[in-house]
Amino acid sequence: MINRRTTLLLAAAFAAGVSSPTLAQTTYKIGYQLPLTGNTAQYGQDFKNAAEIALDKFSKAGKPFKVEIVFEDSRSDAKEGVSIARKFVDDKAIVGVLGDFTSGVSMAAAQVYKEAGMPQLSQTASHPDYAKISQWQFRNITTQAQEGPLNAEWMYSKGIRKVAVIAEQTDWGQTVVSNFADKFKALGGQVVFSEFFNRGLADFRPIITKIARDRPDAIYTGFFYEDGAQFLKQMKQLGLALPVHSTSAAYNAQLIALAGADAEALNLTATFLPSNPAPQVQEFVAAWKAKTGQAEPGQFPAQAFDAVNIMLSALERAHPNVTRASLRDQLAATKNFPGVTGDTTFDANREPAKKLVRAQVKGGAFIAVEK
Amino acid sequence: MDYYLQQLVIGLSVGMIYALMAIGFTLIFGVLNVVNFAHGEVYTVGAFAGLIIITSFAPPLVAVLLLVLAVGALTGVGLERLAFRPFRRFTDEASVKSRAMREATLMSSLALSIVAREGIELIFGSQFQTVPLKLLLSEPIKLGPVTIVNGDIIIFVTSAIMLLGLQYVLKHTQVGLSIRAVSNNALGARYVGIDTNRTIVWTFAVGSAMGAVAGILVGLYYGAIFPNMGFAPGVKAFVAMVMGGLSSIPGAVICALIIGVAESMSTIFFPSVWQELVAYAFLIATLIFFPRGIFGGARERV
Repeated sequence: MINRRTTLLLAAAFAAGVSSPTLAQTTYKIGYQLPLTGNTAQYGQDFKNAAEIALDKFSKAGKPFKVEIVFEDSRSDAKEGVSIARKFVDDKAIVGVLGDFTSGVSMAAAQVYKEAGMPQLSQTASHPDYAKISQWQFRNITTQAQEGPLNAEWMYSKGIRKVAVIAEQTDWGQTVVSNFADKFKALGGQVVFSEFFNRGLADFRPIITKIARDRPDAIYTGFFYEDGAQFLKQMKQLGLALPVHSTSAAYNAQLIALAGADAEALNLTATFLPSNPAPQVQEFVAAWKAKTGQAEPGQFPAQAFDAVNIMLSALERAHPNVTRASLRDQLAATKNFPGVTGDTTFDANREPAKKLVRAQVKGGAFIAVEK
Repeated sequence: MDYYLQQLVIGLSVGMIYALMAIGFTLIFGVLNVVNFAHGEVYTVGAFAGLIIITSFAPPLVAVLLLVLAVGALTGVGLERLAFRPFRRFTDEASVKSRAMREATLMSSLALSIVAREGIELIFGSQFQTVPLKLLLSEPIKLGPVTIVNGDIIIFVTSAIMLLGLQYVLKHTQVGLSIRAVSNNALGARYVGIDTNRTIVWTFAVGSAMGAVAGILVGLYYGAIFPNMGFAPGVKAFVAMVMGGLSSIPGAVICALIIGVAESMSTIFFPSVWQELVAYAFLIATLIFFPRGIFGGARERV
């Protein structure tokens, strides 16, 4: 009896002894604003899962400090995004912010972070003006300024001369069209049709019928995977057989699940392929499958995973003198960070340079292709 | 020419989808004189219920539709019980005639619709559900220069059965007679001994069953089943109902077709981002020039 009690007491003392230095450990807080409900919730949920995988790995690595991530739901609404930004800024414990999802909300919140001097790293905001807002804005996504010309060259090299361009009616969609069209025309190609659609459009058939009338050689598209699946299915329905090229935004395994055989031969550029044999990629893919029970992660969660890790590594370098300003400087100093979406280095304009791969849907999977 | 014909056919098929939803919507409006904002969610519930049935038993389409019909009827009864019945608990003349009591259900049905939509989103997530591809109603059928899909035929037949069946029930049966009586004058119907509560429950059951079937059919037609799917067709069905004169079901169906065709034809002349404006333009035009709707009866409304 006494023995057992002593053991218990010893165990308690031991536990206390072990946990007290942990309690004394410094904890840094990172804010993460992302859509957890509403129409774009699936993206935000993916980011949250990716962030938790990254943070979990970091916490288990026995670092001299702890990190806590505060998630706030912005519903992809600019007004919500701004009020979350104010909340994060007012919380003195928060030293850096991740997010938001869309360029629009990220840019609205960025105004608050610019005023208050808070480093902001978005995993997906790809509007050209986002990183230009102030020295506090960073992003971990290639912009259309890089993807558009690459796609234009790719299509031109395949002998395509007349292209129809469609994209969603957003800030991002506009950059998809303009960056691609400028380069394609400069190469000597022709853009015979250009139109925008509202995200979530149920019926693409009127637009597809219109595209068919202009007889292009191929279609260049700026859509996300759900709109993409609808577009590809309805195109096949109407019997329009043209090569379709798209951006990394459409790159998601769900696209193939939703469109099935109709997604075959879709071409796109991407920075992340789950089939990449690099150890950090395979480790992330395995952790993702274990955590979410889903198939392979798409490019967006991969970018979020890298963004969180870039933030954590900047924190580590800034420790123990972590302030919002020192964290910003360390973020800006990120060099050759080995992530799952390739090595990341921020240039003087806080833009990441990444290597894009050409991929095509073949036999129900995204495969890297040469041409 | 083929181009315009193809756009016309697409417009008709889109209009038929709106019509499918407008039938149940207008039926429920007709009997209570208030908009049931939760109809879009009944549509969504129908689609999700159908998807669950398909993925767990994989029965033939007709069986799926019958099961969804039952789910929709139950949802309708529950909806009436939760959002509408509590506002009819006073039976004195002043309360029955009170507009405020009646229109409060606008808010309660809206509240319930938000709860339902967010609930579905919490359980299933807001993304498109994966629908077994071979069950999609999108098999192309070539008719000379134009292409339709098998879903167009199924939706057309279903809408026709609903419309004609409903006309028969309303005009030739006892239940239909009592629905028309309650719709015309709820207090008068009560005075002549019609069980108004039962009539209203019946209307909700029938209207919601139709809404649920519309949901699964359109879900399989586009292969797009997601929590917010009821919103856009809900708006179109509402406009079709207002254009059609609020309580005329054939009127709503014809106006739904007009909206569909106008939307599709508008993309010939304007960028497709303007397409969404078509329904609202019709709504405004109707309110200004035909306050009783194009097919509205003599009764003054709005």
